[in-house]
Amino acid sequence: MTNILEVQDLCKTYVVNKRQNNVLKNVNFSIDEGEMVAVMGPSGSGKSTLLYSVSGMDGITAGEVKFCGKSVSNMSQKELAELRLDEMGFIFQQMYMLKNLSVLDNILLPACQSDKIKESRKETTERGHALMRKLGIIDIADNDINEVSGGQLQRACICRSMINKPKMIFADEPTGALNRSSSDEVMEELAKLNAGGTTIMLVTHDVKVAAKCTRVLYIVDGNIQGEYRLEKYDRTKLRDRERALNGWLMEMGW
Amino acid sequence: MYLRILKKDLKRKKTMNAILLIFVILAATFIASSANNLITVSSALDNFYEKAEGPDYWFVSTNADDVERFQTFARENGYDCTVSELIQIDPKNVLVAGKKFEYTNTLCLSTLSGIRIFDKNNKEITHVNDGEVWVSNVIFDSAENNFYEGAKVRISQNGVEKEFTVRGYTKDALFGSTMVGMTRFLVSDNDAKLFNNEENAVANSVEIHTKDPDYFDKFNALELNTIMSFDRPMFKMIYLMDIIIAAILLVVSVCLILISMVILRFIIQFTVTEEFREIGVMKAIGIPNFAIRGLYTAKYFAIALVGTLIGCALSFPFSYIMIQSVSRKIVISGEDNYLVNIGAAILAGATVVFFSYFCTRRIGKFSPIDAIRSGETGERFRKKSFLRLGKSHLPAVPFMALNDIFSGIKSYVSMILIFILGTLLVIIPVNTINTLRSDGLITIFNMAKSDHIISQELLFNPNEDNKKKVEQKLSEVRGMFAENGIDVDVFQEIMFRTNIKKGDKRTNSLSFQGLGGVTTDMYTYLEGTPPQNPHEVALTYLTAGRIDAKIGDDVEIKVGEDTKTYTVTAINQSMNNMGEGVRFYQDAELDYNYAAGSFGIQVNYKDSPDSLALAERKALLEELYPDANIYTPGEYIGYMIGNVAEQLDSVKALILAIVLGINGLVAVLMVKSFITKEKSEIALLKAIGFKNTPLTLWQTMRIGMVLLVSVLVGAVSSLPLSVLIITPIFRMMGAYSIEYEIRVEEVYLLYPLIVLAVTAAAAFVSAQGLRKISSAQISNNE
Repeated sequence: MTNILEVQDLCKTYVVNKRQNNVLKNVNFSIDEGEMVAVMGPSGSGKSTLLYSVSGMDGITAGEVKFCGKSVSNMSQKELAELRLDEMGFIFQQMYMLKNLSVLDNILLPACQSDKIKESRKETTERGHALMRKLGIIDIADNDINEVSGGQLQRACICRSMINKPKMIFADEPTGALNRSSSDEVMEELAKLNAGGTTIMLVTHDVKVAAKCTRVLYIVDGNIQGEYRLEKYDRTKLRDRERALNGWLMEMGW
Repeated sequence: MYLRILKKDLKRKKTMNAILLIFVILAATFIASSANNLITVSSALDNFYEKAEGPDYWFVSTNADDVERFQTFARENGYDCTVSELIQIDPKNVLVAGKKFEYTNTLCLSTLSGIRIFDKNNKEITHVNDGEVWVSNVIFDSAENNFYEGAKVRISQNGVEKEFTVRGYTKDALFGSTMVGMTRFLVSDNDAKLFNNEENAVANSVEIHTKDPDYFDKFNALELNTIMSFDRPMFKMIYLMDIIIAAILLVVSVCLILISMVILRFIIQFTVTEEFREIGVMKAIGIPNFAIRGLYTAKYFAIALVGTLIGCALSFPFSYIMIQSVSRKIVISGEDNYLVNIGAAILAGATVVFFSYFCTRRIGKFSPIDAIRSGETGERFRKKSFLRLGKSHLPAVPFMALNDIFSGIKSYVSMILIFILGTLLVIIPVNTINTLRSDGLITIFNMAKSDHIISQELLFNPNEDNKKKVEQKLSEVRGMFAENGIDVDVFQEIMFRTNIKKGDKRTNSLSFQGLGGVTTDMYTYLEGTPPQNPHEVALTYLTAGRIDAKIGDDVEIKVGEDTKTYTVTAINQSMNNMGEGVRFYQDAELDYNYAAGSFGIQVNYKDSPDSLALAERKALLEELYPDANIYTPGEYIGYMIGNVAEQLDSVKALILAIVLGINGLVAVLMVKSFITKEKSEIALLKAIGFKNTPLTLWQTMRIGMVLLVSVLVGAVSSLPLSVLIITPIFRMMGAYSIEYEIRVEEVYLLYPLIVLAVTAAAAFVSAQGLRKISSAQISNNE
């Protein structure tokens, strides 16, 4: 297995009213291709900041982040944008979409902007339809975004994150705004994606969600306190995975 | 607590609050200065005439006996009348700053008597020093002559020679318009005496002050030989060209008010909608409606107050700039209208407060949750846009721009209206100016169409055989062409001042006869057939109307001492003397001792040369007549009506600057508003990999597309609207049928492109603001 993401001595500091707030303090970890890693921790521990910093959405104060061996921290804004467009996919807690576009058009938008995949508009649309079909939302393709449920919309966001065939997906509490049933559906889809070879890093508060991942990083006060590997458990035995994870989290002070 | 929330709000939402403040300032400036202009300009002519103590009736005559007869008549009837001597000077005998004085009409030397005359600072000129000369504004500003304060003017005529120093320009109620066809140099009594000898012709300017309603009939019954004659209402018409400029400014002012209102409505609605969520939160925690409304109204009141104060202060210099072109000619006392500025600015401020109150009233009806949802229930029965990215061949960025417009067309209506109005404001004056400068316009100045005009206007001496003089001159020109192998028609319009009578109705009018290679069928008529015999005439609507004459009627026309009966065969149009005119048959016997003047010598090439050959021939004419100016018909009109077109040009430039400024500001406002509103969408697009350039283009294209459509609509509708607006103005001056000059490359290409380029550039620069939004701000709302 090769590293897709490598983080060394990552520091992130915000200055608010001339006071420094060290959100991330010398964070070190790496993610291998095909992994599905959850980042957990109490509120304000720096989970989302970590996700945005390593994905190049937010700058870092010190340290180094490498994506596919390339240093993200040295990239220009233009290179970072290209990286996010072609190599990364993003899913957010809120189902952010452009309100003036239909669900399908929102999914197709990154593909239409990217030069990565050379194909006609018709082929792109067919790929969009295929993704929607796969995630069970083909019926809402032509709907406006305010005409569909949160669960459907989040699945549409997953389709959008997938449209450019990224190497890695970053998800910030992807089920945070969903009810349990929608949440399970979304996680099911993410797990399927991971099983298909897509690397995923997600931030969550939800043990049930984290239990579907291969590894869990626990962060407190901007430091990674420990990690827990779930590969040894059968993917289908979710209860066992949750119980084991809960036990570890209790040990970590969750 | 209110103050704390207000302070925090002003600080936190500084972009939108700053934009709102800017537009309140602009609205207050425009409304205050436009209202001032509206009142100032509409009353300016009356005020100027009052201030100048202008006469109720005025005429100029070269016949001393007639003037004496009139004075007796005035005494008998108790009319207050002032007679001033006008010493006629041939413009050829004048040098301005060492160069030939370019002027075709009658030039006179005059002293201070009669009406009050003002200088550039609106101060009455009460004394003229020996060796100094004051020049009428229209002459002072003419592009052909280099007049400036301190310039030397040398007049040498009939053995008398004197150099004068130009003291400045005058605002002269009687001789201040090119349409009068006469101008005067104001000199001292001593200098006037110097030139007042037997060899120089002297005319008399007679100003009459009376309220006698029968005056005009009594005056006409005297059958005096006059060069010109005006009454008070006609005086206003003389300044119609200046009124056109003022009217254009008024239209601009009204448009600016409309634009300000539309912008204010948009921005207040936009900012209140932005605040819906906070209002919802306040409602949710139990703050009563009136308290919430009070908070927001207080905020807008604070912005309105500051904006109104600054706008009011700015409106004073802005008013001054707007009326500058008009105020060079007439006395405009803007300082009297300071209260108008203040009142209008307060009105603008009150409108802001009213709008904000109205908008907050709307949210009073919503439940807290409705307000949090920005007043939307989430239900929609209509698709946002019919466009689909999957089915479109457009790249993502232009698609998004186009789709946004179709998704929320209502939000773009105000922008479309403003851009269309702006385009019309730019193009309509261009059409007016081009028409005023077009060759076709010559037909409504009582001239036949010709290719070139040699500015050799003739001044007639009562003691010479004037007709022979004209015929000799024309034959000389014809001969000159023949020597160069060019076959031409050469002709000239001769003017007479005539008295016309039908039954007991009388009037006087400027009359024309073409001499040389011209026949009456070469002019334009509105009704009837051209005069075919010496006893037939054509009258203009105005002249025919004054004596109730119709086609087929017999009228008596007195030229000099000779009265003859003529049959009216046609009605024609004329802009000379505001629509009055008589056209005689070319061979009609007229007393040329009473010829009042002429136009230039017209040349018509028989071989219909193309534009290149015409340019060559113009160069040849310039060689053959080095002392004269050679004009195309359009240029000659400009030369005759003076600097009106130039003034319109400067007004056009001012309007263009205003429109570009407004369009730019609207573009900045819209882009800034969109960026504020779409901050999270921009952050999302950045997060999923959109670079700054495509996002900037997305914002710019939206404005650009709306602008393109608006400019197209504006340009296309400008033609019928120009005709609609210009026609009545020309009709007031006596022209009923106009050939409009629409220069396609200017109207449909140049100006639309300028508007497009500047506005799009403003939008593009403003859209750079989105660079500051980072992808991490995806969940941040201001």
